[in-house]
Amino acid sequence: MKRVANINPRRIINYLRKYWSLYLMLSIPIAYFIVFRYIPMTYIQIAFKRYSIVQSPWEMPLANNHGFEYFLKAFRNLDFLYALRNTLLLNFLDLVIGFPAPIILALLLNELTFPRFKRFTQSVVYLPHFLSWIIIAGLAKQLFAPTSGMINILLNRLGFESIPFLNDPTHWVFTYVFLGIWRNMGWNAIIYLAALTNINPELYEAAAIDGANRWQNIWYITLPGLRPTIFTMLILSLGHILSSELDRPYALSNPLVNSVSNVLSIFVYRYGIRGLQFSLTTAVGLFQSVVCVIFLVAANALAKRFGERGIW
Amino acid sequence: MRKRLFGVLLLALLVLGSSVLAFAADPGFVDGRFTTTRKITVEIYDRSNPGGSPPEDNFWTDFIKKGMLEKYNVEVEFKPVPRWTEVEVINNLLAAGDAPDICVTYSYPTILAYANMGGVLDLAPYLEEYREYLPNLFGLLGETNIYWNRDPNTGTVWAIEALLFQNKKINTFVREDWLKKLGLEEPRTLEEFENMLRAFRDNAELLLGEDADKMIPYSTSFDVGWRNDHLIMSFVPNDMSDRDMWVYGFDDRHLLWPNYKEGVRKLNQWYNEGLIWKDFPLYGAGDRTEDNLIKAGYVGAFMHNWDYPYRDGQEGIHVQLRNMVGEEAAFIAVECFPNDAGIYRKYLSAPIDRKVFFPATNKEPLASLLYLDFISSLEVRRFLQIGEEGVHHIVHEDGAIEMLPVVGEKIINSPSNIDYTITINGLDLGDPVLTARSIALNYPGVEAKYIERAYEITSNEARYGINVQVGDIEAEQGMETALSEKRNNLLAQAIVAKPEEFDAVWDRGFQDYLRSGGQAIIDERAAKYDAMYGDN
Amino acid sequence: MVKSKRSKAADLAIAFVCLLLIIICLLPMLNILARSLSSTEYILRNQVLLWPKGWNVEAYRLVLTDSKYTWSLAWTAILTVICVGVSMTMTVLCAYPLIYRDLKGRRFFNTMILFTMYFSAGTIPHYLLYKDLGLLNHPLVLIIPNSLSVFYMIIMRTFFYSIPDSLRESAEIDGAGPIRILFSIYLPLSKPVLATLSLFYAVGRWNGFSDALYYMNERKYHPIQLLLYNILNAVTSIEIQTQEGFASAPGISDTIQAATVMFATVPILIVYPWLQRYFISGATLGALKD
Repeated sequence: MKRVANINPRRIINYLRKYWSLYLMLSIPIAYFIVFRYIPMTYIQIAFKRYSIVQSPWEMPLANNHGFEYFLKAFRNLDFLYALRNTLLLNFLDLVIGFPAPIILALLLNELTFPRFKRFTQSVVYLPHFLSWIIIAGLAKQLFAPTSGMINILLNRLGFESIPFLNDPTHWVFTYVFLGIWRNMGWNAIIYLAALTNINPELYEAAAIDGANRWQNIWYITLPGLRPTIFTMLILSLGHILSSELDRPYALSNPLVNSVSNVLSIFVYRYGIRGLQFSLTTAVGLFQSVVCVIFLVAANALAKRFGERGIW
Repeated sequence: MRKRLFGVLLLALLVLGSSVLAFAADPGFVDGRFTTTRKITVEIYDRSNPGGSPPEDNFWTDFIKKGMLEKYNVEVEFKPVPRWTEVEVINNLLAAGDAPDICVTYSYPTILAYANMGGVLDLAPYLEEYREYLPNLFGLLGETNIYWNRDPNTGTVWAIEALLFQNKKINTFVREDWLKKLGLEEPRTLEEFENMLRAFRDNAELLLGEDADKMIPYSTSFDVGWRNDHLIMSFVPNDMSDRDMWVYGFDDRHLLWPNYKEGVRKLNQWYNEGLIWKDFPLYGAGDRTEDNLIKAGYVGAFMHNWDYPYRDGQEGIHVQLRNMVGEEAAFIAVECFPNDAGIYRKYLSAPIDRKVFFPATNKEPLASLLYLDFISSLEVRRFLQIGEEGVHHIVHEDGAIEMLPVVGEKIINSPSNIDYTITINGLDLGDPVLTARSIALNYPGVEAKYIERAYEITSNEARYGINVQVGDIEAEQGMETALSEKRNNLLAQAIVAKPEEFDAVWDRGFQDYLRSGGQAIIDERAAKYDAMYGDN
Repeated sequence: MVKSKRSKAADLAIAFVCLLLIIICLLPMLNILARSLSSTEYILRNQVLLWPKGWNVEAYRLVLTDSKYTWSLAWTAILTVICVGVSMTMTVLCAYPLIYRDLKGRRFFNTMILFTMYFSAGTIPHYLLYKDLGLLNHPLVLIIPNSLSVFYMIIMRTFFYSIPDSLRESAEIDGAGPIRILFSIYLPLSKPVLATLSLFYAVGRWNGFSDALYYMNERKYHPIQLLLYNILNAVTSIEIQTQEGFASAPGISDTIQAATVMFATVPILIVYPWLQRYFISGATLGALKD
């Protein structure tokens, strides 16, 4: 909806006089993005070329199949397809089970009536976040190992059979997800807790006068107050649906569960990094990024439909 | 006249210049020394051990730097690289042209990958050219190791093989005190070993009292191929040809060797009888859970590195076991898995170890080779390995060396300073008898008899790996890690499967291994071998 | 306010659930703490649960007297503080201008910035870039490259959005420019989000070590988590165990591992409660509503 030729010079000067400081402020972050994000991006072309240590990416020769050789190589590799499936599966479960958890926790904490207890709980639940996955994996094995794990020893004493938390693929998936929740729930709740403080207390007072009970408060005041934050976090999480960190599955996996624990990050590590196939690594990374962007755009559009602001 | 003089001068200059250029490999090297100081950088592993000294600047680097400067007028700088992420870091360095002049790695396919990208210097011409200046290097490594990786078609030598001097691998250990308690003889056959394990299991209360439910007759780890080597190898036919040994030898645990499956079936049988530690696949490399169980006295037998229970002195299994259980507790090495010819065959690697290579950015090949020569001379490496008398070691009457624990700036960061002695792995005092005796002395807290027995058994009836050079095997590139992981998964899953499912699980995993590149490697190796050596 | 019986029961139920949460979050830390103070025999027998057995402060003594660790701890603390300052400045500089709806080019900037969240070049290109910029092995390489997180910037911007435009408009009428408005209106009202993001950046910097691993070779600039990573990985690589067959690196005892974990984690844990009080300051907003 461009207005035709409204290039009034006085308007421009006024506009600039008002907003020059904003452009100045923005210039620094933009410069940062150009230098540290966009310039390295030009190396993504490696995905389409034959990697060579001694040449710069511009000099490297184009790979076969119009540069798509490595993409084809990945998709023809059964391991890649399994890794893709596993990544989607684990991320999806993380989303469905793990996304609501911090919200519920924030709400729970909000409802706590004992202030000291509330502060103490707040300080404690984010503790697991500080443990690296290597440590958590060690702790998990101490607890969940089939014969020497403490939980299973307890179960055996009570007459039950051991539960294969870590050595059976199906059980492993759930252990994986719940360990993730345990670790990140308290930490992710912080954002929601901060957003909760933003909700106008007068609303609660008004509701109390109207005789609202706890659950009505939550449904009509708290949750709507959290809505923008929830949507933002949801969109961003959906945008990571295909991303894959290395630490968590690597630390927790073992040879008995590889059918579900091999995810994209491990595939990239084994074939790309240790196998020294950098074009393949970059190609897989590019694929992940493209899919993530698609999800991101879709999620954002969907959010706008719901009347939310979206991310842009 | 002037023109002629000028012409002569020009000609003379040209002749002089071209003679200099002809020896352009290195002018400035006169009488075994450089006329101007040269600089080289050497890769050094950084293990970050608590209490360790900085690997690039300590007592040992001072010694080396001083020696190199005095002898050859070469300044040496060490570039530390973290030991566990070595591959990733070196790769970055190579990509940026920042790699040290001398690099070391255990993985030859890695070097090959870099070489194919043009990132590695071909050593062949320099080795020929400067052979006369490298007596120690050739003396220690011999033509065998130096030209181990020479490509038969192109003659290129991308890397030199260090010498694996102490070529010892695996041993089978059993609890001496438990044998005594149960009145059993040391097992000499597979059947006796099995019966022994069953005896351990059935007599748990006698052996462990109230900890009876913690009994583990036999322990192993996720690295099944390494930790059950003696057992599985006893199923391999004695008359396996050299050809088969190599063609099916890509996997470093020998997964593809004939009859491997039956060895694993035996383990599956043991597992289902309750003789093997049930949690074994869960714990990764370096995890101490299994070690702790062994030290606590719950384990009856296991296979491991040839001296594993005796290492690490106070922290080691032998000493800890005695602390926990009592003075009679000990593990002894036994030989009990004869193969189909009745021989206790041990399959050891070829006498190669780390590979030393020069990145293409190396501008001082001669100086670098001289460094290797320096570090290979007996005098220098002896000092690096045993240090100063009275400080790092004491000398016994018979000349044997006993090492002392050292802390502070003279500390030895890696066993026998292996990080500095990059051309040799293993103690070498020059005299094999003296060396053997010294080795036996260097297990603090452990009586020599245990070491001597372990030392002898582990290389008894050894068959060594062979060198087959048929040029690059393309199918192998980049496949090491991925295929090793598949192998580990296959073995672990096969062992824990129910006996009736063993074949199905094995076949499925094995087919996946082959399909993911294993078969391609076998085919290419076979084709190239037969092309070079005929159908042997 | 009279609370009905039902709501009291709900209160107790909620408190109970929170108690459970506390237990499952606290116990593992207690276990690590206990192990760091126990002696070997009990650890070997797997008998250490929540309370140290066989009191043993050797591990702490070793860690605290090793200047490698104490220096790294101090350096990591300094680095974290600097990083938080730089990052928060960058984040505000980026988020604030983007809330002006009539800023020309806003859509373009938004898209451009968001895009970078999903495309990343990888270690090698970054290595080459830093090399060309002369950042390798310079402390700045630990500060600048990760100074601005798009994710956190979006959070800050979302929060700025929630501050009513009426405040800004009335200030503009009074003749205030954007900078004045930022400092007098937006920043004071954003204490919760400023505290939260500072905490996030601080923890991110404190726990992060992969950049130091690849780009920083000078040991004196290594953050504490990198040291911890090396210790925990000391014999983890399978290749090392079998390659150096005849004798591998001496193992680092469980106690020392546990002690180092505590050492590297406790400092940052202290920061959070201190920042917590800034979360509880949303009251001002309501007062401004007309």
